[in-house]
Amino acid sequence: MEKVIEKAVSKISELAIGATSANGGTREKELKIGGQSAMPFLHFEGSMPNAPVVALEVWDTVPEEWPLIADEFKDIVNDPIKWAQKGKEWGADLISLRLESCHPDNKNNSAAYAADLVKKVLAATKLPLIVIGCGHPEKDQEILPAVAEAAKGEKILLGMATKDNYKTIVAAALASGHSIIAESPLDINLAKQLNILVSDMSMPLERIAMHHTTGGLGYGFEYCYSIMERCRLAGLAGDKIMATPIINMIADETWKTKEAKTPQDEQPNWGDLHKRAINWEIACAAGYLQSGADILVLAHPESIKQVKQTIGKLK
Amino acid sequence: MTHKVKIPLLAKETAVSDNTDLLTALSKAGVAIKAVCAGQGTCGSCKVKIISGEHFSSPSPWITKEEKENGICLACQTAVLGNMDIEVPKDSRLENIQTAGDEIPADTISEFPQTGANDFSKLSPLAVKIHIKLPEPSLKDNIPDFERLTKELTRITGIEQFSINLNLLKNISKFIRKSEWDITATIARHNCAQEIIQIEAGNTVSESYGIALDIGTTTLVAYLVNLNTGKVTASKGTINQQMSYGEDVITRIMYAQQKDGLQKLQNTIIENVNGLINALLIENSISPHNIMALQASGNTTMTHLFLGINPDYIRKEPYIPAINFPPSVYACEQGIKINPRGIISFMPSVASYVGGDITAGVLACGMDNSSEISLLIDLGTNGEIALGNNDWLVSAACSAGPAFEGVGIKCGIRAIDGAIQEIEISKDKLSVKYKTINDKKPRGICGTGLIDIPAELLRKGIINRDGRFVTADVSPRLRKNSDDEMEFLIAAATETENKRDIVITESDISNIIRSKGAIFLGIVVLLQEVGLGFDSISKIYISGGFGTYLDVEKAVTIGLLPDLPRNKYSFIGNSSITGAKLCLISQEARNKAAQLAGKMTYIELSVNPKFMNEYTSTLFLPHTDLNLFPTIKL
Repeated sequence: MEKVIEKAVSKISELAIGATSANGGTREKELKIGGQSAMPFLHFEGSMPNAPVVALEVWDTVPEEWPLIADEFKDIVNDPIKWAQKGKEWGADLISLRLESCHPDNKNNSAAYAADLVKKVLAATKLPLIVIGCGHPEKDQEILPAVAEAAKGEKILLGMATKDNYKTIVAAALASGHSIIAESPLDINLAKQLNILVSDMSMPLERIAMHHTTGGLGYGFEYCYSIMERCRLAGLAGDKIMATPIINMIADETWKTKEAKTPQDEQPNWGDLHKRAINWEIACAAGYLQSGADILVLAHPESIKQVKQTIGKLK
Repeated sequence: MTHKVKIPLLAKETAVSDNTDLLTALSKAGVAIKAVCAGQGTCGSCKVKIISGEHFSSPSPWITKEEKENGICLACQTAVLGNMDIEVPKDSRLENIQTAGDEIPADTISEFPQTGANDFSKLSPLAVKIHIKLPEPSLKDNIPDFERLTKELTRITGIEQFSINLNLLKNISKFIRKSEWDITATIARHNCAQEIIQIEAGNTVSESYGIALDIGTTTLVAYLVNLNTGKVTASKGTINQQMSYGEDVITRIMYAQQKDGLQKLQNTIIENVNGLINALLIENSISPHNIMALQASGNTTMTHLFLGINPDYIRKEPYIPAINFPPSVYACEQGIKINPRGIISFMPSVASYVGGDITAGVLACGMDNSSEISLLIDLGTNGEIALGNNDWLVSAACSAGPAFEGVGIKCGIRAIDGAIQEIEISKDKLSVKYKTINDKKPRGICGTGLIDIPAELLRKGIINRDGRFVTADVSPRLRKNSDDEMEFLIAAATETENKRDIVITESDISNIIRSKGAIFLGIVVLLQEVGLGFDSISKIYISGGFGTYLDVEKAVTIGLLPDLPRNKYSFIGNSSITGAKLCLISQEARNKAAQLAGKMTYIELSVNPKFMNEYTSTLFLPHTDLNLFPTIKL
């Protein structure tokens, strides 16, 4: 029987995060993602020069919504510097810093605070950095330009740029040489429209990652999976606009779910809470690996270890 | 308790019972007022000014603080509690709108269809007058009067059988003798039969006219047609007064389900049509008596409402009309003021949302005569489209919404004098040049302008492809309005008719994008249903009062129409009335219309998952898939 090989028309664009001293930064390495010419791990159909990477999610405030993490790592999560330093030890490829405390409903911390914190994190870890705003479209327009300026030269990945605030964020990223995450809610057309708008501002497609928003396992996972898969297939079929790498924010969609909160004595059939919650994060990440995820953002060290192992076996 | 409501400036008044809403009161007083949402308080179009009188107005987001202080309120949200004096601003009144009919001289109108594909030149009008001198009967020639008449008519026309109404027959013998056997008989096509509908003394053949009528959801257009020559003598258009009961067909169908709703809607359209015909006849000094036939063309709902047939099931799945091929009726049965025995005939419909207007359109452009595939797009509220050739025809409706008719747009108006149709923004983005209908002072923006403006804003880099303004400082004409929304100033208050700024807001543009998206997607999905691509289309006909002034390049720029060679496009104006006129003067056209309506396959887009799934891809300028618009470079 003849083997049917699907040949991709084009490759996923290759995005680099982090500048080493050779490139004017202070990171220990430059991390590359994307560049594939086949669907994930189908090595017989094309090449996958860069394996998916795992980022450690770090908050600048105690993640009250993630009780298990907040409790298990209570000496770490109250200090973003310490937390970020754990990245290397836990085996993460990079750090994803979320500026949650800047949200008006949280501490409403200022742009100057955000810039200062990012500088400190950059000094405390040599891993490449992702910085995510507070998720408030207007506030992010204030803090992210300050962050971009503070991290100038480090080639960070800056997010989230949405249709409501992309202009300011993209302009800031362009001015400081960073890449951006374009976020649109679970729709292949909206994702493409935002990528077009962002690239119309002369942001190269090689400096855009997409976030289709992440559905946690049991919370729209399969919907998100199929959007990502469709998007990746379009990218491989020659649609350059859709051929940008994809990020999944798995930690935040795992640790706040009831599966990661409900103790065993309340749900005896669900098994041990600690094990269950970690497995929830791992299973979600392992699933998204198959639909084209290039960056998986996780929180628990055990998840990072297991997912890294899975990637190691598949790549 | 009753209260008097006076509108001194319009010299109208009426009496209403306590707590009646002002919209009903004004309607009773005979003031036609805009009420797009049929009095639900959601459209903000029925603004009036209260001079005096006790009343209660519910608060409305449409009324600014300043307006409230000046006594402005929404008529539909105001209860009459005492004798009142009211002023109705010009902007709130329904006025005559410009229609294709007013624009084009009569002899040009009769040139349609310009494709020449259909040859309906053989004159065989819906009603025809024949002058006869009957041989007097004798003992040797003793056939009865009616048979004597029909025998002679058969000899002249070749038609073998005639019917006659009993009432006309009752006095026929006396009448013929009084006329000394010199008479003019009018024969009309009435429900598949040739009927003698009138007998006059002497020769009245030269006095034979008919009316072609387009009953649009928004506009009515009437042509006065000389049935002896088949030529259009005059034309006139007006607004469909049913607008007071809802902007779109669905709202009107729902209104028809209220108590007396259907009757009100029918009465409104009948009075409306009578007013239009009356004006046409007075201007041309023609007696209603000499109008022997009326050929109407309208969408399925409009036809139902004209005839007083309950349209309720058009709205409910599986969307079934009461009838597609309505019977012809006597004018007196409908209360239409032409010759009482004149015949009113209707263009047959295809389905619930593809009406006689599209049958008329296909007939007018003759797309069914060629083996090449053509597309007909009617740019109206219902966004009807037809596709096919001489072998097959499919049609669909994509519910584009009324944005292109100026509804739901801050400064949107219909195509009346002073409507902005075209703008040109200077390179420094400081000044705007605009063209208005009949070069009058600007009053607002009509459909053509609503296509032109986003295209120009996009080309000048003032809006992005998602229809949003690039940045607040891209042009000094950009500003934030009282609703905290960005808007672009097109004409300043000092230049405009109503002394108010004419602007386009970000939500206006997103409204237009939604409408253009629906039409474009309708075309795409209809093509997919039949397994064809854009390349297979040889000709595209654009119809509608709006289409008459359409700039194809601009329409392609915003992604309303597919990016095909511009020479494939042609404008056929108001094809509904053109088709109606053809049917008025040609039996062949009438046969063809029935055949077309019967053979057209209707595709319900609202149940097509593609229609919903791919809609988002059209909400971009011109489209998310830029490969679909290769010639549009920004």
